[in-house]
Order: sequence, then structure tokens, then C-alpha cells
Amino acid sequence: MASVGWARLIGYVAALLAASDLVVWLGVRGYYNIHYLASITPILLQAFVVTLELIAVVVSLGFLVGFTIGWSRTSRHPIVRGIGGLYVDFFRSMPPLVLIAFAFLISLTSFASFIRNPYAVQSIALWLGVVVLGLHSGAYQAEIVRAGILSVPAGQTEAADAIGLSKIRTMFLIVLPQAFRVALPPLGNEFSSVIKDTSLLNVIGWLELSGIGLFQVLPALRVSVFGPLMVWTEIGILYLIVTSVLNGTVRALENVFKVPGLEVASA
Amino acid sequence: MTVLSIRGLRKSFGATEVLRGIDLDVAQGEALCIIGPSGSGKSTLLRCTNLLVPPDAGDILLNGVRVNDPRIRPEWVRQQIGMVFQSFNLFAHLTAWRNVALGLVHVKKMKRPEAQARALVELQRVGLADKVDAYPAQLSGGQQQRVAIARALAMDPTVMLFDEPTSALDPEFIHEVLDVMARLAEDGMTMVVVTHEMGFAREVADEIAFMDRGLIVEQGAPAEILERPGHERTQAFVGKILR
Repeated sequence: MASVGWARLIGYVAALLAASDLVVWLGVRGYYNIHYLASITPILLQAFVVTLELIAVVVSLGFLVGFTIGWSRTSRHPIVRGIGGLYVDFFRSMPPLVLIAFAFLISLTSFASFIRNPYAVQSIALWLGVVVLGLHSGAYQAEIVRAGILSVPAGQTEAADAIGLSKIRTMFLIVLPQAFRVALPPLGNEFSSVIKDTSLLNVIGWLELSGIGLFQVLPALRVSVFGPLMVWTEIGILYLIVTSVLNGTVRALENVFKVPGLEVASA
Repeated sequence: MTVLSIRGLRKSFGATEVLRGIDLDVAQGEALCIIGPSGSGKSTLLRCTNLLVPPDAGDILLNGVRVNDPRIRPEWVRQQIGMVFQSFNLFAHLTAWRNVALGLVHVKKMKRPEAQARALVELQRVGLADKVDAYPAQLSGGQQQRVAIARALAMDPTVMLFDEPTSALDPEFIHEVLDVMARLAEDGMTMVVVTHEMGFAREVADEIAFMDRGLIVEQGAPAEILERPGHERTQAFVGKILR
């Protein structure tokens, strides 16, 4: 376990060194100048903050939706189960890019008919694009939560019933604590996947990291042929930082809640 | 005094009628063993008794109160009836004492320190004072089953149901569980035990009921049922098991 953690850390450090080596090498060869790199950093950091905001909304909304829909899919009532199933089927069968475009265009056209302020319409449409990405991730998370709940043996709820525990307490005290231990690794997987999906939001006009990267291509080219590569290396490193922090958090949670007999094979 | 009284209990799963009119009385402090071939409905009878499985027809009277009544919450009934399962079913994410204390805190609304103290007492009673902080996976089958017994006892049940409590155990652990149960019977706990342990039934039970094809075929004192069974199906079963 510990040795795997070290290997991972060494891998990250090596990747970062390689990336910065590349940058330095290109700098030494005169393909870019350090002043340019310094000059774009504040813009990139600004965009990075936007990306973090988007991640916060998408991940928390997706988790909320995933939890609710995932739970509903384990319900005994066929209607509740059916609604959850329809939701998952719909949102999983569309590329996130299409969903984002749909949400943006539909809200742009429909809200424009009764909201006068075009800026208000635009910002509603922009945020609905974010929301739909959260809903999309929620569909995947729902399946993870459902699998987690179903992985808890029936004997556990039976034992809870036998001591007179109510249905809702059984869910929160017995089933969910065990389900989440199973669901945590795949949830982490989905989180890091949707973090990267926020880069799709630049198609509707969000100036997040990737959007800024695209904007900077031409100005960067004016500085050097390797200008865009410089910018995108910096962007890649910023994404690497967020996903690493998130993966580390998920792994730490796994360790905190680790219980003998309930370990998921560790990655 | 009769604590548990079952009248005309029927239960079907689809087209198969598993219980075909069961009548059974269990007196205060009595240990009743139910024996019978597999598929005879023994487990279903226990599960109907604490309403884990809703009965189709008949009455279940606990201290004279009809508990399979839609106006009575099944949670309340199950609080009065302790159950021990064949496969232990300890809460896998909780340590031994938390397994025992959970019902005290969340069903009996006991304060946490009080519940913890009570859990320790119950674990001591089943000889597991040194395992209070162990997780189920760190315990042997016999130890797990004893924690399960402690968990049920902590709720102060009127009756304890045991559903083949030793069938999933390695032979070396069977005795520690049976010993705990024998002591419980000695202490005057009212219990209904579905078992294949004929030695236990003979020594500990006050009565043995033989079940076959959803009916209680014969009921009586252990010596009577095991040595001079009246019914030919009882004779065949006992003959096969005791030999």
C-alpha cells in the first residue's frame, strides 16, 4: 500500500520534471521567452478559478443527483425505479457536448422571449450548460451508487429489521455506510472524469482553462512557434493539480473509512 | 403462562404453500426446539413470527396481543422478539460493541454511554469481553454468532428465535454457541430454536416440535419425540438423524 503511494508520487514528480525540462529546453533554444510565460500566467490563473467554480458546481450537483437517482433505482416501487431508470438512460445516451449545446441553445432561445436583458439571458443559458453537465455526471454516479447499495447483502437489512430498526435508519446507518465504501473508488473515477469534462463548457463561451488556451493560440504563435505548446503545458499542469488533489482526497477517505472485511481491492 | 401463541398460521410463496396452518404455544421460560427436514417450513415459521415475512393468515399472539395486526408497527413487534440468524448477519462496518449498541441507541433511544455500558455487559455474558473492539471479519464464526446473540439479548426481548444458529459454523465452534444458548435457557429465557443439533435438543429443550411439509406433525418432551416418536414421519426423520 505505502510502496504504491510512493511509486505514484515519484511518477508525478517525474512527469512534472519532464514537463518543466521541456519548457526549459525550449527556453534555452530560444523558442519562447520567460517574460511571455510570466505574462500569461495571471490570465491562466483567472481561468483556473473559473474552472474550479465549474468543478464545484458540477461535482456537487452530480453527486446530489447521483445519490438521489441511485437510491431511487433500488426502490421497491416500480414507478420510482422507472423514473430513475429513464433518467439514467437519457443522460447516459448523449455525449456531454451535445447536452451542453442543447441546454445552452434551448434556454437562449426560450428565455429570450420573456426576459428583456440579453446579458441575463446569456448568463442563465451559460449556467444551464453547467447544470446539464452536472446532470450528465449524476447519471453515471447514480449507477455507481445503485451498485454500491445492491452490493450490501440482504442479511444486513434483515438483521436491522430484526432489531426493530426503521427503514430509513436502516438505510442511513447500515446500508449506505457499507455502500459508500464500495462506491468510493468508482466515484473518484467519475469525479476526475467530469472535472476534465468542464473543458467542454468553452464551446458555449465559458472562459475556463481550456477556453483561454484556445484564445491564446494566436497571440502565443506571434511570440514563438512553441508558444501554444507553452500555454497548454501550463494548462495541463493546472488540470493535473486539481485531479491529483481530488484523487488524493478520495484515497484518503478510503483509508479513513477502511474496515477489516470491507476493503475494496486497493488501486 | 403462554408468552407466544400461534394459531392457524399460513404462508405461501407463489403456488407453494410453505406453512399450512401452524398452531404453537410457547410458555414463559420454555425452550422449544423445532426439528424437521429441510423445506419443511421451519425457517419461514420463525420469520413469520417476527414479521420479517408477513403471514397470509392466522394469528400471532405475543403476551395475548395479536401482533400481525395492521395497526401494530412491525418494528415494535421485532423489538420484543430477538432473532439470531444462521449466517450471523453482523453489521460488517461496525465493531462488536457497536453492533450490540446500535439497537439500544436508535431503537430504544438509550443515551450513548449507557448503551455502550450495556453492550459491554452483554458481550461479557457471551464470553467476548476481550473482543468488544473487533470487527466482524476479525472474529471466528462462533464469536460472530455470540455477538449476534448479544445484539439480540441487549434489546430485552420477550422471546428469542434461533434460526439454525450453528449450521454455518465449523464443527470446532459449534459448542461455544450451544453453550451460550444452554446457559440462556437455564436463565429462563423463552426461546424457539430451529436446529439440527439433536444433542442440544435432547439436553436443553423443554419440548421438541417436529415439522414436516408446513405442519407441526408431533410435539412433546425430548425423550418422547427422539426415542418414542408416535408418527411414522417423525420416526423416519429421527431414525435417519440419530442412527
